[in-house]
Amino acid sequence: GVKPRRNQSHGCVLKQVHLNVTDLGLGYWTKEELIFRYCSGPCIDSETNYDKILNNLTHNKKLDQDKPARTCCRPIAFDDDLSFLDDNLVYHTLKKHSARKCGCV
Amino acid sequence: MAGSVALYFPQRVYMESVYVGQQAGSPVLQLHAMADTEQERPRFFLCWSNMLKPQHYSSWFTLDENTGILSMNKTLDWSDFSGLSVSANSAVPRTHGSSGCGGSLSVPILISFISATVPTCNETKLSRICYPEKEFIPHIMENRPPGPFLQLQRLTHKDLCPNFTITYNIDSGILYKVPAPFMVNGNTSELVVTSRLDREEKEVYSFDLVCTVTTESKLHRYFVPLVVNIYDEDDSPPYVNGTDTEEIVIEFNRMKGAVFGNLLVYDKDTTPIYPKDQTHNKFEGRLMTNDSWIKERFSIYHSFTEEKLIFGNIRGTVHKYLILKTNILATEKRFFQLDYLVNDTTFPGPKATLMLHFNITLRPVSIHFPSATSLFTVSRQSTAFAQIGRVCVDNCLKFHGISVVYRLVPAEKNSSALERSCYTAVGITPSSSDISAVLYIIHTEPLQQPECRKLHFTLEAQEKKTQLQAKTELVIQFNGNRSLEDDCPLSCAKHRRRWPCETCGGLGAPTGRCQWRQGNGKGVSKNYSTCSPDLRTCPDGHCDVIERKDMSICPQDCTTKPIIGGHEKGLLQGIGAGFGTCYCTDKCFCENDNFPMCDDVCKTIIASAVLLS
Repeated sequence: GVKPRRNQSHGCVLKQVHLNVTDLGLGYWTKEELIFRYCSGPCIDSETNYDKILNNLTHNKKLDQDKPARTCCRPIAFDDDLSFLDDNLVYHTLKKHSARKCGCV
Repeated sequence: MAGSVALYFPQRVYMESVYVGQQAGSPVLQLHAMADTEQERPRFFLCWSNMLKPQHYSSWFTLDENTGILSMNKTLDWSDFSGLSVSANSAVPRTHGSSGCGGSLSVPILISFISATVPTCNETKLSRICYPEKEFIPHIMENRPPGPFLQLQRLTHKDLCPNFTITYNIDSGILYKVPAPFMVNGNTSELVVTSRLDREEKEVYSFDLVCTVTTESKLHRYFVPLVVNIYDEDDSPPYVNGTDTEEIVIEFNRMKGAVFGNLLVYDKDTTPIYPKDQTHNKFEGRLMTNDSWIKERFSIYHSFTEEKLIFGNIRGTVHKYLILKTNILATEKRFFQLDYLVNDTTFPGPKATLMLHFNITLRPVSIHFPSATSLFTVSRQSTAFAQIGRVCVDNCLKFHGISVVYRLVPAEKNSSALERSCYTAVGITPSSSDISAVLYIIHTEPLQQPECRKLHFTLEAQEKKTQLQAKTELVIQFNGNRSLEDDCPLSCAKHRRRWPCETCGGLGAPTGRCQWRQGNGKGVSKNYSTCSPDLRTCPDGHCDVIERKDMSICPQDCTTKPIIGGHEKGLLQGIGAGFGTCYCTDKCFCENDNFPMCDDVCKTIIASAVLLS
């Protein structure tokens, strides 16, 4: 069979990191952990004429101080909710906290 | 009458194993049935779970009608076991009755068929010769004649070791100071209860059984714990501890479903909850009145709990009787005695009933204001939805089930159009409990007019169901000067920082300025930092009637949208607790200011600090 070609770290991809819930900096006191998935990588491949024009205009300083946002690597779907118990035995549920799918938008 | 149970089995199930080669005529186990009276004698029959189609092994067993000994009818051989459609150890449920198979009284007998020959004396542990694997859990009804109730010997193992002698005893160690009313019949190895027992005296007897095996060379003793539960019957009458009369005054709380009074009735018997349809120690009650006025308005609520401590560490029942009320009008006034007859239906004696008395005083409630005139002063800087104050008739905080409607009427009828427009500045809205009302600013335009400095209203209160009325004069005075701030958002909650918060106004601000609350910043806390129009009402975890009118006033208490960042939700809506600073635009966000955005002022300070160092 033909080996499927792997798009290794080429462009916008989903990465993951193992964290403690306290690392998220949301102020919860707990010992629970999670897998946090995020989107990272360049989005040059999906740029259009619009992006090229914007790039030229900002470079030539035709837009005063304005810096419109360019295509960037963002989640287009989120992981399932995460529930955990904090040190005071109160349950919390995080929604839309971790990426499931990435895209250049 | 008590004791309608008649005969009963002191065990819930009987179990034994049978082996290949078990001889015809050899005993398997012995059943016991306990009598209700001295004259009763049990007779035993074998019945089958499916009486129309008995199993093919039904003829292998026989039960002695008088002794209750189950024994083999045939010698088991290997072919018998192959006919059993089940695996090697099979349990066969059987029932037996004392009054023929149609009778309700039966107990299951589970026989395990072991497809192996009977173990020899050398192959069997001595402890297994003494006791079966499964422990005995017998029970005895209180107030019943004494007699044998448990065969201790394993009848299948009786002749296994002919050279040994096996005897049973009750351990009379020093631990058991009071001798238990039990003994072992040495001839039959039966455990015997020696006297009538009383559950209200002792519920559980626990002691050790001793099996002594004497072999050629040694003497072995085996101890097993035995717990005998004493079952209850209704042999105690109900009684009250102290008074059977309760004085009740009903005044401000006239709410439907409110409970009054608290009379307790005690009974030393237990009251089981399951099964639901049983009558054991069941109490019935009857309201002793023909007065339809009373019957429509009052009923008795009965509940019971099992208690142990107050009955000397033996379980008993405490019944609680409360008066339950439906709507009573504010004007109703009466004094009467309510009698309630309690009947312990299953107690056989003459004292099965007792009477409870509730002396009820129903006082009328009148509606009036505490003073002839009320004065409220308000800043002219107030913004729309700022709360001016709360109005309320006398004792209104004690009211339950009384609804009061408030109305605000301009006092001067013949005034100019401009003066009349002044009165549009103030509105009134009922509080959520329907007892008081809140005055608030509706329009801010009149506050700028010098003619509108003082507003005279008549405040009217009316009870909804009885049309009781009260009036008072209400004066609202606007103080100070009005200056308008510029370029501020409509909602105080949008501010993320103290400085812009305290320099801006927003909806619902009685001083015209937003107020900043500084939290302690440790984790997710109820005391989070936030900007609010009035810290007395927002955020207080409660979305009140004014805040409900516009989502921009206090989204911290009223938001129903998902909250972003570390938080706990409020009880119904809003933010219950937040991390760092909570601010709201369309949604609410809670976040800690660990990474402060440096504005121009801050940059200058840092720059000069660097220069000076």
